[in-house]
Amino acid sequence: MDNTAKILIVDDEKGLRIGTQRLLESEGFYVESAENGTDGISLGTQKEFDLAIIDLKMPDIDGLEVLQTIKKDKPNTVCFIATAFASYDTAIEATRIGAYSYIPKPFTPEELLHNVQQGLKQRKLLIEAERLKREREENLLAIADEKSRLNTVIESINDGVLVVNKVGEMVYYNNVALKLLEIEDIELGEYLLDKIPAKISNQIKEFLRAEDGLPKSTSEQIELKPNNELFVETVSSPVYHSDGKFAGVVIVVNNITEFKRIELIKNQFVSMVAHELKTPVVAVMGFIDLLLDKKIPLTDDQQHDYMSRSSSRLKGLIDLVNDLLDISRMEIKTKQREIEELDVREVFESTLMFLEQLAKERGIVFEQKYEENLPKLNADQNEVTRLFTNILSNAIKYNKENGKIFIEISSSKNYLCIKIEDTGIGMKKEDKERLFSEFFRIKNKYTRNVSGTGLGLTIVKRIVDSYHGKIEVESEYEKGTTFTIYLPIKTK
Amino acid sequence: MSLTEKIKKVLLVDDDVDLLEQNKLIMESKGFEVVTAESAKEGFETFKTEKPDACVVDLIMEHHDSGFVLCHRIKGTEEGKTTPVFILTSATYETGFKFNANTDEEKNWIKADGILNKPVVVEELLSKLENYLQV
Repeated sequence: MDNTAKILIVDDEKGLRIGTQRLLESEGFYVESAENGTDGISLGTQKEFDLAIIDLKMPDIDGLEVLQTIKKDKPNTVCFIATAFASYDTAIEATRIGAYSYIPKPFTPEELLHNVQQGLKQRKLLIEAERLKREREENLLAIADEKSRLNTVIESINDGVLVVNKVGEMVYYNNVALKLLEIEDIELGEYLLDKIPAKISNQIKEFLRAEDGLPKSTSEQIELKPNNELFVETVSSPVYHSDGKFAGVVIVVNNITEFKRIELIKNQFVSMVAHELKTPVVAVMGFIDLLLDKKIPLTDDQQHDYMSRSSSRLKGLIDLVNDLLDISRMEIKTKQREIEELDVREVFESTLMFLEQLAKERGIVFEQKYEENLPKLNADQNEVTRLFTNILSNAIKYNKENGKIFIEISSSKNYLCIKIEDTGIGMKKEDKERLFSEFFRIKNKYTRNVSGTGLGLTIVKRIVDSYHGKIEVESEYEKGTTFTIYLPIKTK
Repeated sequence: MSLTEKIKKVLLVDDDVDLLEQNKLIMESKGFEVVTAESAKEGFETFKTEKPDACVVDLIMEHHDSGFVLCHRIKGTEEGKTTPVFILTSATYETGFKFNANTDEEKNWIKADGILNKPVVVEELLSKLENYLQV
């Protein structure tokens, strides 16, 4: 960069103009000159000069106007007004509109150079000031940027955030917090604690009271709207200044309604399980008490009947526990799936063989139809066997004596289709709707002697869902039921 | 006058045939005449035809509140108003139902004259019946 100071001379007096230029150039400055106001403005606004020496009186444009125009465009150009008519008023006026100083004409070279030196010092100061100003502005910009980024981030969080100072006034918040806590009309700096649920404000007050030596953070689950409509967990933590002094409290409000709903469903499931486990135990205990009761006479046949009924209740209990274990395994996925290429027909036929005896006892016959060259299925063999077993054993158990079961396995482009149709007792519409619910068992005159855990179809549904398949049920009461299972051929 | 003179016939309703038979035997051994039903629907029909002097009804049958519904229906009939109805359940704890009818509103809602936990201790049922008759 060229460090030579650049000076502009604007003067209509040729002799003075050239003389001044020569003098300054001989001092090593770069000098340009204009012979009237118009040229002066054009030069002074186009280029960046360090200094400008402007004659006050020129025929076209007044020196003060030239000064003003240059200053407007190049505020850091240090301008002098040179005048033979120096008056106090002119000087004042000139400096008021931006001149650094005025040089009374005629001037000696020493006077001129002294003024130029002073002017250059001023120029340095101006430039430095501008640099600092720009720097400061950039810093502010950076800070503003950082702040808006933080705001954006906090505003984007799904949790509510509130910050109160140590007298309980709100100093920061995001809109999620206001929405969750249903706070309306609040300004920063307003007292917050009487506008939020008491449980949360009590949590905050504990921090405000304790100030120092308070716990790290406390959390609480609060039901804001009854019947599980809105449940939040609030975590309050103290905020400290950099010097360690207590500054306030930050409260994070997390909407946990969904978790609570799941928790409720799990609790209800546990309750139902407990009930289902207790029932057979009570029945067996009842039989044993009867057998032991000397005051109640029982025939040998009765005694035998009660013992065998106890035994079958206990078997049912074991089935139930096994089903529960299966469900639990599916739930926590501890059961490592072994996905392999399965020949569905093979798996199906071996399941049928396993159930043959059960079918024979009730005189039920199977009619089977398999598509040629069925595509292979990628699935876990145990799961598919379980699926077929549950559906087929239902078709046997809920069939009529000497009934039939039609089986058809076919394929479409993406799905294997397994259709199992029975000639059994069927079901009513309201029963069909609850069919896949845990522990649901149809109770009517036909089902009183059918045993089951109430989990068979729940397991079926879960297996089908886990392979992204589909299950359809068609049924007519007292006529029969058809289950159609679609399993995607290409599963990962 | 003994209990079995005031209450001769008892209706037991339970969808668990094993429990039904057990309770029937026990009640019969105590000198009651016992009629049974295996569902809420059948229970109400038996109530109307048999006109029992007391009813013991299982809570969870076809639905989780079948026993309550049956109790309401029985209490809604003319003879049912004065017939003691006891609800039998193993679900007191599990379902989270509060069975201690303390307020009048709760008593009015539940309508039953007592809740008995399974397995039922017949002595408990008998003492509840005694209490009922004294009131």
